[in-house]
Amino acid sequence: MTIGISIALILSSALMVLLVLLHKGKGGGLTDMFGGGFASSFGGSSVVERNLDRLTVITGVVWFVCIIALGLLLKP
Amino acid sequence: MLTALTRAFRTPDLRKKLLFTLGIIVIFRLGSVLPTPGVNTENARKALEAAQSSELSSIYGMVQLFSGGALLKLSVFALGIMPYITASIILQLLTVVIPRLEALKKEGQAGTAKITQYTRYLTIGLAVLQSTAFVALARSGQLFGTSANDLPILLNDDIFTVVVMVVTMTAGTAVIMWLGELITDRGVGNGMSILIFTQIIAVFPSELMNIFRQKGAFTFTIVMIVGIFMIAAVVFVEQAQRRIPVQYAKRMVGRRMYGGTSTYIPLKVNQAGIIPVIFASSLLYLPQLLVTLFANSQESNVVVEWIAQNFGSGDTPIYMATFFLLIVFFTYFYVSITFNPVEVADNMKKYGGFIPGIRPGRPTAEYLNYVLTRLTAPGSLYLGLISMVPIFALTLAGATQNFPFGGTSILIMVGVGLDTVKQIESQLQQRNYEGFLR
Repeated sequence: MTIGISIALILSSALMVLLVLLHKGKGGGLTDMFGGGFASSFGGSSVVERNLDRLTVITGVVWFVCIIALGLLLKP
Repeated sequence: MLTALTRAFRTPDLRKKLLFTLGIIVIFRLGSVLPTPGVNTENARKALEAAQSSELSSIYGMVQLFSGGALLKLSVFALGIMPYITASIILQLLTVVIPRLEALKKEGQAGTAKITQYTRYLTIGLAVLQSTAFVALARSGQLFGTSANDLPILLNDDIFTVVVMVVTMTAGTAVIMWLGELITDRGVGNGMSILIFTQIIAVFPSELMNIFRQKGAFTFTIVMIVGIFMIAAVVFVEQAQRRIPVQYAKRMVGRRMYGGTSTYIPLKVNQAGIIPVIFASSLLYLPQLLVTLFANSQESNVVVEWIAQNFGSGDTPIYMATFFLLIVFFTYFYVSITFNPVEVADNMKKYGGFIPGIRPGRPTAEYLNYVLTRLTAPGSLYLGLISMVPIFALTLAGATQNFPFGGTSILIMVGVGLDTVKQIESQLQQRNYEGFLR
């Protein structure tokens, strides 16, 4: 049981990293961080980006559930 | 102020943005207190208490500050935004060194997007490195210094648990990065800075309570008064700017008349913001990290000992001097990166603008450079002095190293706060003309 959830957690973590990296970076880096004026918003997001968002949120929920389940199982 | 706030909430799309930002912040805080599976939370808490009462607490001060206390709890978001900040710093420095990156930066929006993408990859790499380092430290019991050696932090010492923890923390860093980008994209303000802001605000009340409990009501009141004055002073300097007048020539394009207006280029006294402070403190954190990694080897090393003596805590003269000089250096460095006088002068020339009394082109660039250099001198000194404040407080009032009104935290709080309010205001002004700041 523990091992199963651990493996699920590893898989969902890897997927999470991958999905986040697939997003287009909108952070803009440090340049417009702290007092860099107004970040320009680039209109609406594309279909790809919206589907990616949905996938990322689903993966995130799975990831979160895995963490909580494993945390409860491993409780001393 | 309050009416402006209610008006902000009455505007439908602004309300949506504000609520979205708040929601992300809640998720972020939730992840910061959720322990990574495999951590013995009970023991971790005890070890943290033991470490806080000992001298060693100052070593992780900076990281602890940026992670909002999440790091030493070994939570899912333990690494916080540190990897992203470090990655950004590295790439910023590399743009000067590597010609390809410099070319990308000059390309404009597409190039910047590419650099951002590199930053994101580097962030994940750094996250793997740092999480491995921290989990390894926790496993060997050195994370909290020597005082808490006897309590095992991990429930299970086998390699599988360690791998799970490292992978989870790395994914946590990726999630933080995504949350930050979501705020930038759909919320209010810049995501990364809002997340740093949240973490600092989160530890703020408990640090104030610590002072109240340890030093009594009198010191507490004095700290509060000094703090309020400092906030006022920081706001004052942050808002200060020199306005260089620019006159635009009238010109006809087809049948319409353009230009003929006079505006100004605002040059802030502290053009670099708080980035120099973050750069300097992250750099100075490196020797401490090295010492922690190498300190347990049996033979005593002269270099390690010297570093531990001079950089181990923030109140040695060498540390203070280095910190100050690094901040001044990075202020100039960062201003030269973000504001290019030649480019501004060229742009002005292209659109028929000029500074009264100065010829367009090279003389304008030289003039801008002259003004900017002179303006940055007090700006850099101010940044350096503000970041020295916690150290002065340490010697004068006997306050702790984690002085809550410490320079870095105050600069970040005020800087991010002002920025966010300005952004909300500009959105409010699209509808009606009264905002927060008059």
